[in-house]
Amino acid sequence: MSRSVKDVIPVGHIYIRDNVLDKDTLTGVSESKALWAKDLNLAKKAEYTFFAACGYQHMKYVEAMMGALRSARKMGMGMGKVVGVSKLFSKLGLDITTITAKITASKDDPYTPVLISAISLLRKLGVDVGYLHEEEPCCGSPIYYAGFEDDYAEHATKNYEIFKSFGVKRLIGLVPACTAALKNVYPRYIKGYDLEVQHLLELVGKKLKETGIRPKLKEKVTVTYHDPCQLSRYLELTHEPREIIRSIEGMEFVEPDPEQCGKWSTCCGGGGLEATHPELSERIAVRRAEELLETGASVILSNCPACDLQLTRVTKKLGASVKVIDLVRLLDEALE
Amino acid sequence: MSSSQLEELEKEITDNVQRCWKCRMCVAMCPTYEGWFTQSTAGRLMAINLYIKHGLGSEEELSNMLYACTTCRRCQERCRMLSTDCRPADTILKARQYLVKKAELREAKGP
Repeated sequence: MSRSVKDVIPVGHIYIRDNVLDKDTLTGVSESKALWAKDLNLAKKAEYTFFAACGYQHMKYVEAMMGALRSARKMGMGMGKVVGVSKLFSKLGLDITTITAKITASKDDPYTPVLISAISLLRKLGVDVGYLHEEEPCCGSPIYYAGFEDDYAEHATKNYEIFKSFGVKRLIGLVPACTAALKNVYPRYIKGYDLEVQHLLELVGKKLKETGIRPKLKEKVTVTYHDPCQLSRYLELTHEPREIIRSIEGMEFVEPDPEQCGKWSTCCGGGGLEATHPELSERIAVRRAEELLETGASVILSNCPACDLQLTRVTKKLGASVKVIDLVRLLDEALE
Repeated sequence: MSSSQLEELEKEITDNVQRCWKCRMCVAMCPTYEGWFTQSTAGRLMAINLYIKHGLGSEEELSNMLYACTTCRRCQERCRMLSTDCRPADTILKARQYLVKKAELREAKGP
């Protein structure tokens, strides 16, 4: 008997691929993409176009789905069975994924506000920023890292046409994986790719220097920084976030061992591993959290939805009195 | 996708593995390494090489090993510093693409 794709590739990756290709989102939860931006009055055409991506908006659902998956595993049900059950329900016309995710998602969602902070931060620095709202495509980077190269190339070409049809010239990314994909991977699959892509921190760092604005925190805190791998090794941005953190008044910055930060920062166990190897992913996250806790900081800063999720979950589990906050949120607070 | 493209990919992967000095620095770099060689970058590369060149192991075993990688590229950073041109993380990604393409080719041919 010849084995097909679904016999060889982990079911979690196939599930994500189907979501990206059919529903144009990461988790398959059907929801308006521009919900977070409804009070922000963002124009579609502007000097810079903000790329919000699925990451931050869907992280509360990922959190809920991972919880459901873990309890299913305790009952002896693997990811394959769970996906099978959800497919069975969708044949009956019931979107069980959306229903479960929406019911079990925590009301206290720290991830979506990061997007609002990003826009407010850019506006405070005088950047003319726009957003494609419902028309913004999913960049598709999870399917690239899962190995579905042909599907990805097709998806990327389609996305490029969408960007071109809206006259997008400059993109600002926030999720490291999506920004790295738009900046470094898309040009490999699209002829004549000419979008100028940069990460939010690059632009913010530049603007802070130009305007001479000094962010200031109300109370003194000790912070440490976790470098997301896609930011430090794929986009090679290790200097900018540190410079920004050091520029904030009222903050003491401590770092783990030099072999565990910057471009040598250890992985948080995210990157799709949560869906395929949940136990291993958790052990990696615990190891990373312990390295960061050794610094004695009371706040862990990061800049990626997956790292935020992983570190928040394990620090809670370890019972550590530490807060995991996204750098963008803290910076926005410091610029009041 | 044709079988000649698949052979090209095979050659690219094995060529990359061939450049490895076997210094094993990537083993210590790998976040998934917990004592077993096959949980590390070098172990994954060795498994791919043995599978392509000698048909050792099964696709299922290979898939288990390859998809346990977080693609964090910490190994590749170390490898680059030692000036080897092996690109281990990219090679693991290529090997994932290889598994997908091989399965897709089988599906296209039919049973």
